[in-house]
Amino acid sequence: MGIVEGLLSGFLQAVSLDVFPYLFVGAVFGLLIGVIPGLSGHFAMAMIIPFLYSMDPAPGIAFLLGAHSTVAQGGGLTAIFFSTPGTGQNAATLLDGPPMRDKGLGAMAAGAALTACFLGATFGAVALALLLPVLQRIVLFFGPPEIFVLALLALTFVAVLGKEDIIRSLIAALAGLLLAMIGLDNVTNTERFTFGWLELHDGLELVPVILGLFAVAEMFELWVKGGSLSGPQTKMLSTRETQKQIFQGIITAFRHWWLILRCSSIGAAMGLIPGLGSAPAAFVAYGHAKQSSKTPEEFGKGNIEGVIGSEAANDAVEGGALASTIAFGVPGSSSMAILLGALFILGVETGPNMLTYHVDVIFVMIFTIIIGNFIGMVGGMFLVNPLSRATGLRASILVPVLLVIVFTGAFAVQRSFFDIGIALLFGVIGYLMKVLGYSRAALLIGFVLGFTVEKNLYLAVQLSGPDFIFNPIPLTLASITVVFLAYNVWTIIRDRGQSKTTRAEQQE
Amino acid sequence: MMGRTRLISRAASICLVSTLALFCMSACQKVDTNKEPKTGVAAFYDGRNIKWIIPYSPGGGYDEYARLISPYLEKYTGARVDIYNMPGAGGLRGNNALFGAAKNGLTIGSINGSAMVTNELAEMRGANYKISEFEFLGRIVSDTRVLVISLDSGYETFEQIWDAGEGVIIGATGLGGSTFVDAVVANEAFDLQLKIVHGFDSSSVLRQAMLRGDIIGSWGSWGSALDAVDEGRHRVVLQSGIERSADLADVPTAFEMAEKTPDPEHTRAILAAWESLHKVGRPVAVPPGTPPERIQFLREAFEKALHDPELIAKAEKSGRVIRYASGEEMTQLVEEAMQMPDNIKQFFISAVKGQL
Repeated sequence: MGIVEGLLSGFLQAVSLDVFPYLFVGAVFGLLIGVIPGLSGHFAMAMIIPFLYSMDPAPGIAFLLGAHSTVAQGGGLTAIFFSTPGTGQNAATLLDGPPMRDKGLGAMAAGAALTACFLGATFGAVALALLLPVLQRIVLFFGPPEIFVLALLALTFVAVLGKEDIIRSLIAALAGLLLAMIGLDNVTNTERFTFGWLELHDGLELVPVILGLFAVAEMFELWVKGGSLSGPQTKMLSTRETQKQIFQGIITAFRHWWLILRCSSIGAAMGLIPGLGSAPAAFVAYGHAKQSSKTPEEFGKGNIEGVIGSEAANDAVEGGALASTIAFGVPGSSSMAILLGALFILGVETGPNMLTYHVDVIFVMIFTIIIGNFIGMVGGMFLVNPLSRATGLRASILVPVLLVIVFTGAFAVQRSFFDIGIALLFGVIGYLMKVLGYSRAALLIGFVLGFTVEKNLYLAVQLSGPDFIFNPIPLTLASITVVFLAYNVWTIIRDRGQSKTTRAEQQE
Repeated sequence: MMGRTRLISRAASICLVSTLALFCMSACQKVDTNKEPKTGVAAFYDGRNIKWIIPYSPGGGYDEYARLISPYLEKYTGARVDIYNMPGAGGLRGNNALFGAAKNGLTIGSINGSAMVTNELAEMRGANYKISEFEFLGRIVSDTRVLVISLDSGYETFEQIWDAGEGVIIGATGLGGSTFVDAVVANEAFDLQLKIVHGFDSSSVLRQAMLRGDIIGSWGSWGSALDAVDEGRHRVVLQSGIERSADLADVPTAFEMAEKTPDPEHTRAILAAWESLHKVGRPVAVPPGTPPERIQFLREAFEKALHDPELIAKAEKSGRVIRYASGEEMTQLVEEAMQMPDNIKQFFISAVKGQL
């Protein structure tokens, strides 16, 4: 089957009456799962798997991927309105989403986020389609040495995130790296920082940590301050004003098409590499957005570019992850591992055979991602109004309700009461960090990447010896890291010099 | 203004209706068609909820088996079966929870047989259970372990790898995990000099490493290697066990190869202990102390469920092998696995602890 033929057939299948209803139900289901903190894409997919046994490939794929593709959109809404990431991927949205809400621009942020998600996903899907012919060779470039250096590069983005206060950011990032060390070291089987607790054997679970750092911490703050999430200074918007903001958000997102394009490329590229995970992609994209922005000082205070960048990368990741799954049957993320199992149940082969004989199925996936995200975008916009109204509730009502949802989410990941404790503990840590001005994002990046860096370094040394760093790709990436870091250190020194002179001038 | 609000509320209701539809669909699957009045134990289970503990995350092999079987367990027990994923500590957390669960016959759990036996033998910290005290409902499948190598590795048979000697790298996941123990056991049994590099994240990362040529291959369960082998991306060169399994008729078994070693006695002794672990496979059990009549009822339901033609058809479609053994047989198999000769036991303990 040729590519064009496959494209047409895939499109016609995706919009046919046999497939579209499943896609629609899946997309709405995914959106709602995404809105609920703690429940993530692979939970939605695992719920759907039992239905697949009796389904044909195309509707089955549309159902499954439809649900999966909208989860990040729903999660973005929760992140913006309740400072609670709906899924782990939305953590980067927390940096600028909630501050926009505080300025009374929540609906605008939501509109922009939903649109950015849709555009990012579309970009990821199109990238997947374009890469099809060369897919196999690209994925094979990335083994432990390359992933190690790439993760290191991602870590250096901490420097951009916390440019204003580099010492505090470094402290936070290193603390994050330390937290990643908790648990059984999978190289030597040594227990590290477990204090003899079996619960800490596998290390800290990501979701309770994120929920604690951001959501619970936010609840503490709200509780201490009183009032409501939307803040006393902003008055409740009417439905019409909310709609106006959503449209403004959409237009703003389209205006930043160049940023979306760049951040989506980051997302798609990082999704392509198995073992890197999707959470860092959004942070790296955020770092890039800040780096390239004309107003980097506004980041973290409610800059819409921060929301757009991270949400675009968020959904573009999936196109990339799908690519490596299709090309080799090597899943790029845990959701993709479930997808792979589902494809097997549906009787669809992956790997070279799929690329040769089932191009139409690949295009069903591509169109499912695009159409599913479109449904998610439109459906999500209808959720904006009720969600933004809920932010106007008094803290004494909202805090208990949200805490129940957040703790349930923390519990649900592993069905573990211990994780509720973790969320609570990190709530305290997150609150203190916020009050004392330490970057929670830097801590999270350190935490997410610490394990990846360590493990891949070990594997790289075992497989290729210590001189693996001199291979072409690692060497290139390592040089980029050094140049990038040096440039940032230089700008920091320069800025400091400037601010000293301005301060001196002011004093005069 | 009014129009828009109506549009919004209409869209909201569409969202609601479609979600409801989804939940209804899931509910429909669970409608019990059996209308006869029930007595005794059947009446106890009718309409109750059975909690099925899976010691691993959603989406893995254990989870998929449970989701495949649970509708049929519901059919033959009349109860609702809730799948309860409790990942952690390599399966220990879920297993401990099952061992200490309420003894009312409403909690059942899947067990990673060989790992839980070796953990207990090695007296691993955190192994708070006695595997022989579990009441087994039966076994879903026994393990066939296979050595999978990549097509571009330059090797085609196990003998060639044997002759290659040092410098050949085999990948494994965690230290002391099953892919690692398999590799250590094979090295010892066949006096191989393969270098074992562990620390790969999962079997999918191992696959990628194979394609890249970082490693020539790895051990794994036949179930997880199946699709990649079917699609002609990898090749199986050796399988565990005495007799060749039906779908691997061209691949020699470890026991066949034992004849070619310098000390076949020693090789066979190790392989026998290894095989006894594989036979434990993936059993389903209830905690000790569960009332005998409920155990009996669950055992019968489990047997019927695993022999349901519909389930068998689905299992075949998804490439999931079913190798049922009864609860009584399981007790026997676990006993056998626990009774290894001392020197072999020591060897397995060091393998699991990663001291080799």
